[in-house]
Amino acid sequence: MPPFLILEGLDKSFGTQAVLRDLSLEVNAGEVLALLGPSGSGKTTALRLIAGFEPPDRGRILVGGEEVTALPPERRHFGMVFQHYALFPHLNVAENVAFGLAGRKLSRDETARKVSDALALVELPGFEKRRVGEISGGQQQRVALARALAPEPRVLLLDEPLSNLDPTLRERTRRELLRAVRRVGITTVLVTHEQEEAFHLGNRVAVLHGGVLHQVGLPEELYAQPATRFVAGFVGRAGGLRGTLAADSGVRIGSGGDGGIVWRGVPAPDVAAAALGTPVELVVRPESLTFAPSGLEGRVTERRYSGAATYYQVELARSAGGGEIEVQAPADAAAEGDAVRVGLLPGGLPPRIFRGTT
Amino acid sequence: MKSRRTLLAATAVCLLLAWLVTYPLLMTLLEALGGPHAWTLAHFAEFVQRSDEWLALWRSLWISIASVALAAAVGVPLAFLFERTEFPGRRFLGAVAALPVALPPLVGVIAFLFLYGESGFVSRAVQSLLQLKEPPWRLAGPGAVLLVHAYSMYVYFYLFTRAALSRLDAALLEAAASLGAGRWRTLFQVTLPLLRPALGSAALLTFMTSLASFSAPYIFGGGFRVMTTQIIASKLNGEQGLAQVEAVMLAVIAILGLAVLRRLDRTADAGGATGVRGIAPARRRLRSVWSRALAGVLGWTMAAILLLPHAVLALISFVPPFTWTNQAIPPVLDGRNWVGLITREHLRPVVNSLWMAAAATVAALVLGLAAARLAAVRRRGFLAGGLEWLIALPWAIPGTVFAVALATTFGVSQPWLGRFVLIGTPWILPLAYLVRNLPLTGRGALAGLRGMDPALEEAAASLGADRWRRLWRVVLPLLRPALAAGAGLAFITALGDLVTSIVLYTYDTRPISVEILSSLRLQDLGLAAVYGVILMTASTAAFLVWGRGESR
Repeated sequence: MPPFLILEGLDKSFGTQAVLRDLSLEVNAGEVLALLGPSGSGKTTALRLIAGFEPPDRGRILVGGEEVTALPPERRHFGMVFQHYALFPHLNVAENVAFGLAGRKLSRDETARKVSDALALVELPGFEKRRVGEISGGQQQRVALARALAPEPRVLLLDEPLSNLDPTLRERTRRELLRAVRRVGITTVLVTHEQEEAFHLGNRVAVLHGGVLHQVGLPEELYAQPATRFVAGFVGRAGGLRGTLAADSGVRIGSGGDGGIVWRGVPAPDVAAAALGTPVELVVRPESLTFAPSGLEGRVTERRYSGAATYYQVELARSAGGGEIEVQAPADAAAEGDAVRVGLLPGGLPPRIFRGTT
Repeated sequence: MKSRRTLLAATAVCLLLAWLVTYPLLMTLLEALGGPHAWTLAHFAEFVQRSDEWLALWRSLWISIASVALAAAVGVPLAFLFERTEFPGRRFLGAVAALPVALPPLVGVIAFLFLYGESGFVSRAVQSLLQLKEPPWRLAGPGAVLLVHAYSMYVYFYLFTRAALSRLDAALLEAAASLGAGRWRTLFQVTLPLLRPALGSAALLTFMTSLASFSAPYIFGGGFRVMTTQIIASKLNGEQGLAQVEAVMLAVIAILGLAVLRRLDRTADAGGATGVRGIAPARRRLRSVWSRALAGVLGWTMAAILLLPHAVLALISFVPPFTWTNQAIPPVLDGRNWVGLITREHLRPVVNSLWMAAAATVAALVLGLAAARLAAVRRRGFLAGGLEWLIALPWAIPGTVFAVALATTFGVSQPWLGRFVLIGTPWILPLAYLVRNLPLTGRGALAGLRGMDPALEEAAASLGADRWRRLWRVVLPLLRPALAAGAGLAFITALGDLVTSIVLYTYDTRPISVEILSSLRLQDLGLAAVYGVILMTASTAAFLVWGRGESR
């Protein structure tokens, strides 16, 4: 089955500022795709192009085989949940949810039934007559979802749908959101700057940075095999060690002992063909490191206990290449000020090798 | 494709507005220069050579500056009294203090005439009390003009300062106190600097209103001519060219004044907002019985003084013509004047004013909204800037100038130049009111649109609503408060207008204000008062129904 929503080579600039460069993405029917990136990455612009609020400078958007690039938003039949919900303050909950049903020539009873169905879907039954100003933030978010889903759109667009809620409420609302979207089984594009949200809600995740798509894939792929240095640092915690490329996907770090230590990793695509001796950066996750009898020499500068895990900030010795790295280890593994040696955890996630920045 | 349609619409509205707003002003300048047939600087030369012209210019300027100072001296302390202290009757008196804003200028002027004029109530009372042969004072000259200005314009300072005080973050004052600042240091180094933007806006509004003021100098000025009355005098003397030059000069002064005050305002704007809106400071409850009593007495006295003009108008409207000669109190009171209004053909001006004001308000609402919407949609660029400028411009140009400009432009028939004979037709006055009301409706709409979350319209679009349904179901309901306030003020302004009407009216289209003047001239004070009461009631009603205290 061909993908349901296709973005083909989308370009967008505002004035001289290019915010989106050659973005191509495919979303399968019934799939939730999360667009993940920091602010200014172009993810919101991408969503607004899909919704039709802005025209792309170049490229095409197709839905179910039909090109919609030039179609105004009101004729795309996409549902959208806005970051600040954009509920109409002069209408009550039922009138808000019924807003998108107006073009359908439905009878009054049918409209009322569809409204109450939509409210039941987001677990707000009986909220019809409430004013939007008098319900809580989480409830507003669900009304916005009900409003977007009521006209049975072809695609659901979510713009940072949870960023306006306080942290304690966010995880619960996220689960409710996921349940509602799964029940409807609608093709969904979600924009977020939070990795946890993207991983939880998205079947696949696309990472954007500086208007460029860096990687798209399953959450596991992004975490274990980041395609670029940016993805490695943005998705999950990671520390970088500078060194030079050695034989057999090895990286020579530091100058101590017999000319440094060699650690093995998985080269990123752009390093695979590089010559030996090329400056590279070895990126490694804290849980792939451990304190060991032999390894890189350093000193613990900070111990951070977070309950489930303990993280140690280690300042590496000059002979070990210098710099800082984060190590996850048992709570009693070391104390601040201790001299330690850092090694790779056997069986841990292999480090990735990226081109160095020197 | 969508933007091409808005481009077309924006161009059309821009041209229409230019034809209504800037074209007449341009024509006036051209004709003042004798163009396009016989270019000459003769009219300007005459203006420059005559000392009375320079005197009028100078008087307009100093009267306006003095009005700002007086209005601030009355309005700011009142605002502090009502916003920062608590005493019995505070709410009611605070509302009463805003009433003069809803009184058309001419009505305020005749009420002052009935109160403090040579045969006014207060004058007679003082005269009989002190057993004087002559009235104790004459209500004439610059003093009288300033008195009326202070009465009608302090409200701008009062309302703006109150609004700013209520928005003040209490934490700022607490911070000042915790840093050791006393009450006075806090006032001068924290509170007043924070009020500067509000005071600047009030000063600008007062200055412009005072520069354009016509009723007060026209009736009380006598030989004391300011620019507005000078223009009308030239016009009535048949000196068209000179009147046009004077109009151009007044417009220049107005625009210069606007520019200077805007500049001052901008420098004052630096800093200010902390981004966080805190809780307004609590009102200080007056503790001692004496100070409460004093505040109460002061407040109620002030209310009485403020309501006196309204009351005296109502009273005089029940005094039959020529029954009140030299008694302290009118001897006969009956409803003859009111009955006469219905039986004689005196109802005509009322009907005229009502339909013309209503038509102008509706047209200004539609045109102002269209221009604002197009300006907001296009956001930046030449057309958006042009639209915004065009709907704001009539605010800066005194009504007298527009009257002369419209009389100049629409007194001849040159259809290929967009000039038609409208003078003498019923359409010229509604047109004049429309032009002058554009800023009231248009700027309100533009501010409302700019303040609206664009996501609301996008949400409506993504839910399948086309542009008309978005306008009708989302934009208009949300703009309703701003539009209603603008329309209310526009209606009041048009209903009580004298400045433009006196130049452009015909006998058949004479509005209430012109009829008030002719009743005064015929010594029919009762009838003038009846009209005054009608204007006052209609304006106050419009203000209460639509304005809700949202006086720009």
